[in-house]
Amino acid sequence: MAAKDSPLKQFEIVPYSNTELGNYDISFTNSSLSMVITVAVITLFLTLTVNPRSIIPSRMQLISELMYNFIAQLLSDTVGDNGKKYFPFVFSLFMFVLIGNMVGMVPYQFTFTSHIIVTFALAAVVFIGVTILGFVNHGIKFFTFFYISGVPFYMHPLLIPIEVISYLSRPISLSVRLFANMLAGHTLLKVFAGFVVAMPFFTGALPLAFIVALTGLEILIAFLQAYVFAILTCLYINDAYHLH
Amino acid sequence: MPQLNPEFFVSQLFWLVVTFSFLFVFLWRVSLPRIGNVLEKRERKITEDLTAAKELQAEASQIQEEIEKQLKQARTDASEMIKSSSIALQDKAQTELKKLDKELETKIDESAKAIDKSKSESVSQIQDQIHQITKLTLSKVATFNVSDDEIKKAVSNSERSIN
Repeated sequence: MAAKDSPLKQFEIVPYSNTELGNYDISFTNSSLSMVITVAVITLFLTLTVNPRSIIPSRMQLISELMYNFIAQLLSDTVGDNGKKYFPFVFSLFMFVLIGNMVGMVPYQFTFTSHIIVTFALAAVVFIGVTILGFVNHGIKFFTFFYISGVPFYMHPLLIPIEVISYLSRPISLSVRLFANMLAGHTLLKVFAGFVVAMPFFTGALPLAFIVALTGLEILIAFLQAYVFAILTCLYINDAYHLH
Repeated sequence: MPQLNPEFFVSQLFWLVVTFSFLFVFLWRVSLPRIGNVLEKRERKITEDLTAAKELQAEASQIQEEIEKQLKQARTDASEMIKSSSIALQDKAQTELKKLDKELETKIDESAKAIDKSKSESVSQIQDQIHQITKLTLSKVATFNVSDDEIKKAVSNSERSIN
């Protein structure tokens, strides 16, 4: 299989400009374009649909309100009243990941959520923010987060390292989950697309049908992963308020 | 795998920071307050309408109560009126009847008296006539004279026996 037909080729980054800031290359690439499109879609949709500010909403306004209520409900269910101030951040995160995934589902569009560096950066922001929040709320007592009460004392030498490791692996699991899902889904689609071309006569219809079904599944996963990213962020925020 | 190629890491991070920061600030400052305001406005409108509806309902039930009260009052008033007017009518009828009775009684009395009077008059007339007839008959039939007193006596005797 030639390199240009590789299923991973869709993840390659193509620079559109050669911009440098200091010694760093900050070229505008297809990944950047995807991000810009995503942000444009979100901001335009949420602004234009709610513009009439109707008491009785139009269908489009209703979609915006549903999204708003969806995340507001999620935050109040997991964090409670403390969660209100993090609403803009969690909402932005959810929308960014969701629309990023959806933009990635458009053929020939680059999926920036399939890049570990992007998802890891988002997860790291959450992780660092939540850790700072934990220290602000509880001070040095935050370390009791790793101490599980109610177990025999001789278990602690084992349990505390496990707790610490599981805490530190949070950003990794959070980012890898999203990245791996996007990577696997898009690769699978591309592999089956390759079959459509490679198979003789009309047998290519079979993988094509499979692609149609997979696309539906991928759209579901795109939503699900955004939801998982948002709900885990909420749970981490909750942990920063209520230690074990 | 292109994901592990660090060539564009910095570029991606840079554009991620730029786009996500813009998105966050825009949603935080513009979009979310708008949606929040709309939802709040709706919530407020709904609660206002609900309270207004409740107030109106209370008012309506109060009016209904008033109407029922007035109806009840009207019914009792009407029945009382009927009662009192029927009593008054009965009284009036009774007094009329009594008056009529009295009038009739006096009239009956008067006529009885008149009848009595005419009866006694006619009786005395008849007696006189009988007396004269008897006297005449006697004077024609018999040769002896009979005094008036004796005739009267005989007539009254015969009258008594008739009666």
